[in-house]
Amino acid sequence: MSVQDFAFAAEVAARRRWGATAALAALVVLLTLLSLGTGPVRLSPLAVTEVLFGGGSDVAQVIVREIRLPRTILAVAIGSILGLSGAALQGLLRNPLASPSLFGAPQSAAFGAVLVIAFGLADVRSYALPVVAIIAAFGSVFALLAIAGRNAGLLILILAGLAISSFAGAATALVMNLSSNPFVVLEIAFWLLGSLEDRSFVHVALALPFIAAGAAILLSQASAFRALTLGEEAAQSLGVDVGRLRLLVITGVALGVGGAVAVTGTIGFIGLVAPHLMRPVIGHDPARLLVPSALAGAALLLVADIAVRIIPSTSDIKVGVLTSIIGVPFFLYLIMRERRALGGGVA
Amino acid sequence: MLEERSGWGLFPQYDLRRYPHPNPPPQAGEGAQRRRSRHFASRCIVFALSILLSAMLPSIASAAGPRIVSMNVCSDQLVLSLADSDQILGLSRFARDAWQSWAADKAQRYPTLSGGAEDVLVLKPDIVVVSLFDKRATRDLLKAQGLNLVEFTVPRTLEEVREQIHAMGDVLQHLDRAQAEIARLDAAIARARAAASDRHYRVLPLERRGFVAGDDSLINSLLREVGLTNAAGELGFHAGGFASLEAIIKLRPDFILVAEAGDRAEDDGRAFLLHPALQRFYPPDKRIVLPERLTVCGGVMLADALDRLTEELQRVTR
Repeated sequence: MSVQDFAFAAEVAARRRWGATAALAALVVLLTLLSLGTGPVRLSPLAVTEVLFGGGSDVAQVIVREIRLPRTILAVAIGSILGLSGAALQGLLRNPLASPSLFGAPQSAAFGAVLVIAFGLADVRSYALPVVAIIAAFGSVFALLAIAGRNAGLLILILAGLAISSFAGAATALVMNLSSNPFVVLEIAFWLLGSLEDRSFVHVALALPFIAAGAAILLSQASAFRALTLGEEAAQSLGVDVGRLRLLVITGVALGVGGAVAVTGTIGFIGLVAPHLMRPVIGHDPARLLVPSALAGAALLLVADIAVRIIPSTSDIKVGVLTSIIGVPFFLYLIMRERRALGGGVA
Repeated sequence: MLEERSGWGLFPQYDLRRYPHPNPPPQAGEGAQRRRSRHFASRCIVFALSILLSAMLPSIASAAGPRIVSMNVCSDQLVLSLADSDQILGLSRFARDAWQSWAADKAQRYPTLSGGAEDVLVLKPDIVVVSLFDKRATRDLLKAQGLNLVEFTVPRTLEEVREQIHAMGDVLQHLDRAQAEIARLDAAIARARAAASDRHYRVLPLERRGFVAGDDSLINSLLREVGLTNAAGELGFHAGGFASLEAIIKLRPDFILVAEAGDRAEDDGRAFLLHPALQRFYPPDKRIVLPERLTVCGGVMLADALDRLTEELQRVTR
């Protein structure tokens, strides 16, 4: 391959990347509109657009603006941060199986939030919930990376992640067990399933600042992820402080996931799936993967959240259940694909 | 008798706390004149003699009516309002929980049970009142031990409530009190019906998370009896279910009926009722508030519930 051919190939790849990113962004916009148009009360697309431009009946206005809009905003924000967190963790660990939910971050954040709910420490619409959830998420990811060590193989990471998420799950179960009020137990059980239903702008205000801060931190480390693909020592020689990078990524993931979990409960596997969907299109550069993964995450969560409103069922399906039902088989498929690497880890 | 006396003398507080006072102070409106005067007399005698009398009284009192243990918070309410205090050997562990127990204050004076079979067996009651919702294994064990179990269901209509009050009066051998309570209930119904004044307001009873009770619920019977329309029917919830915020806002019932008035959301279920969209159409003066402890059981407290409903109707329709 000549130099010209190489440059041409690079240009084609770049064009494809931009095209894919733009198409994804358009898809997210389209899904956002679809989400605003979906709900138990049938509103025509015309009525929805009318409301968005300030018209419509007061019932339609309240339904679209105060019920569907906050829900949609949260779906976009939370889907994005989950996709972004997955891509960032995969970049940091140079490991395609890394994701917040496999590392127990949402489960730990949920434990933190459940503590607040179970003991009635604060209003569920106060900042106490995201703050405690973030602290718990930070603790879990920090513990995981500390236990697994710097150059941990797949197997150790997954085992440590499994242990931490099981522990968070057990701690949550203990809190439910100790709670004497049956309503509290029911509330927690529902909450753990993960849902965007009936959220309001109060919830948006709760989660968005943390999600935005987490996203900013993760996006700012893009070039460091790229340097890391060359190996930790090479990255260090390029001026990347790997210890600081780890801490920043943990903080970013904890802020994003903690903030998200605090208002929706646990929504898993978006962070695992989104970067994988983007890799064949975007390529393996972790820096370039960040934004498309965020967009893919937003699109995935929007689709899932629209689906739970459309799928006919006697009781409403929780979106967290749906993402896990789809996400776990995907995880199994990934394990199958990585079988050789995993086998190597054992030997 | 001497041993018994020394027992009382050694651990009087202990015994008083664990078991009902054998000779409690007379309550206003209950207790026979005969026992009141006896109590008064016992106060006049010397201290040692009064102890002796207290120790003897349980056997006298048990002749008056069966001694009873209640294992369910709802039967607790009936027992507390119909029984003589020396008939009550133990109440359910939720009896003192003011959130669900209407007679929580009264229940403070009686021992509460663990919920298992052991302490019931030790108390050796004449009758154990249980709900069909209590643990099956515990009920079966008590039956197998030869205890006399009376099972109560959860009433779904006001007629069933009347029947249960009557049945409990029968069990406790205080039918007169039961009749009085039923009369009190009927009077409260009449007052609430007058307050609703046949205007057939559409009321949507809304529980946490938007749960709407179905047609065969007590709250539905209550609303119908009073002359209000349960808007849940228009939502298509004949068997009960979760209503969506959107559907409620589209339906626009005249009032929503909730259990709490405050604006603190201790969990998501409560946050549903405080969603800004719902608050916009249902500010406090569109919310009829009936505390949970007045409606969670069907019993004598329904008279209070209905009086509260009367007050609330007067407030919101002003």
